Amino acid sequence: MQLGFLVDLHLCMGCKGCEIACKVENEVPLSTWRLRVKYVDVGTFPETKRTFTPLRCNHCENAPCERICPVSALHYLDNGIVNIDKERCIGCAGCVMACPYGAIYIDPQTQTADKCTYCAHRIASSMMPACVVACPVQANIFGDLDDATSNISKYIQTNQGNIQVRKPEKGTNPHHYYVNGGNVTLNPLASERVDGHSLFNKITTLPVGGHH
Amino acid sequence: MAAHEILAATNAVVTLDVALPGTVWPWFVTMNMWAKSIGTGVIFMLFILMRMYPESVKNLRLPTAITAFVFINIFLLFTLADLHQPFRMWHIFFYPHFTSSITVGAIMASVFLGLLTLLVFLAWKKQDETYDKVFLWTTILAIPVTLYTAALMAQCTARELWQMPTESAQMILAATVSGAAFMILLGGSKLTYEAKQTLGVVLGLSALMAFIIYMSEYVFGPMKAEEVAFTLEYIKGDGPYTVMFWLGQWMTYILPMVLIVLSRSSKSEAILKLAAILALVGLFMVKHVWLMIPQLLPMS
Repeated sequence: MQLGFLVDLHLCMGCKGCEIACKVENEVPLSTWRLRVKYVDVGTFPETKRTFTPLRCNHCENAPCERICPVSALHYLDNGIVNIDKERCIGCAGCVMACPYGAIYIDPQTQTADKCTYCAHRIASSMMPACVVACPVQANIFGDLDDATSNISKYIQTNQGNIQVRKPEKGTNPHHYYVNGGNVTLNPLASERVDGHSLFNKITTLPVGGHH
Repeated sequence: MAAHEILAATNAVVTLDVALPGTVWPWFVTMNMWAKSIGTGVIFMLFILMRMYPESVKNLRLPTAITAFVFINIFLLFTLADLHQPFRMWHIFFYPHFTSSITVGAIMASVFLGLLTLLVFLAWKKQDETYDKVFLWTTILAIPVTLYTAALMAQCTARELWQMPTESAQMILAATVSGAAFMILLGGSKLTYEAKQTLGVVLGLSALMAFIIYMSEYVFGPMKAEEVAFTLEYIKGDGPYTVMFWLGQWMTYILPMVLIVLSRSSKSEAILKLAAILALVGLFMVKHVWLMIPQLLPMS
């Protein structure tokens, strides 16, 4: 079994329901996110559009975080999920530095690394991840990539030629796919970031740990 | 393609991306690298001096071992302090994961510290013959100990700027620069003028090589990788680390090289010591800039 995720960006409307569901399900502390939706505005008024991109751990086949973790706190499960053992983590932040997707953060409450686990605890009880359940337009598709009859496999087969992963040049082989993605949505360097500017607040960075 | 050209072409602006972690590895890690460079560097220098000027370094066995012991302890202390769960440090030894250079480095550094402790004891007891035997193995182990941070940086897939083998070359050169500089200061009246001049040559040539590598990355790095181009923008123009970068380059490499030439022509030990002090202070800045700028890059 190899579990994977696919997001159809054509369907996503940026409601952030997945973000909230993830926060509630996993008790993610304030100021941190296992899953977040990025908004990017493209074009010049009046010819403008807004894109929405849910971002979470990519559960890479060749995960840099698993490789760099000195205590195997980050480890593979048999179903392909890159899981984290917070009791073992020493908080060296090597994984945060290694992850090319910025998917790992230091939990301010436990002072250990944390990230999306594809809701491994729900999977173990044969339930879908919380974000999948919450999505009102079924933009999140989750399933077994090794099973040709699973929804995700069918979706990939149907949309061949229009499937993307983030930063393929890193050689991480992500198990998280996008449909209808592009440079603006998937490449963080293709969009301008105005310091201090955001739709809802002016916070762009937050301190982590106790050294700042 | 330069950063501004990419942005102009897409005309895209991130209007909402929730708050992201700031600097994850702060100056504690800079201190880690700086102290480790000195701790291993003085061992390399004593090794050279023992073969070139055996009579001159008789009284340097104990001071060198103590210096290395102190700086390796500083390195380990700041490594520990940088952990968010420092009291779980023992997990590294009881749940080791050997694909991680942190694990391998921690084990090697611990053995290295053990050997340094033994050297201090042997030097204090004036058992020079045994000291020299242990010292050989200590010198050999100092090589991977100083290199492991380069391996760690290379394992940080997200930080394109830190490439192998460039980082390993820079780590070794940082050790020879700081080791030679510290030994010039430590030598005092114990070292002959010729021995100090040799250390000056090591310092000058190491500085030259390190400077060439940095400039090569500065000029040619952006031509190969988009992320490197964006990262180096932070030390170009009015970038947040431009001043610190150039101050570091001048203090660590350019000025010491000039001063060493001047000290040789004027036979001045004072100028040589000034070069050594500048190199030691500047190295901290150089390392800090290179540590910080890849962390400023947006990952999402």
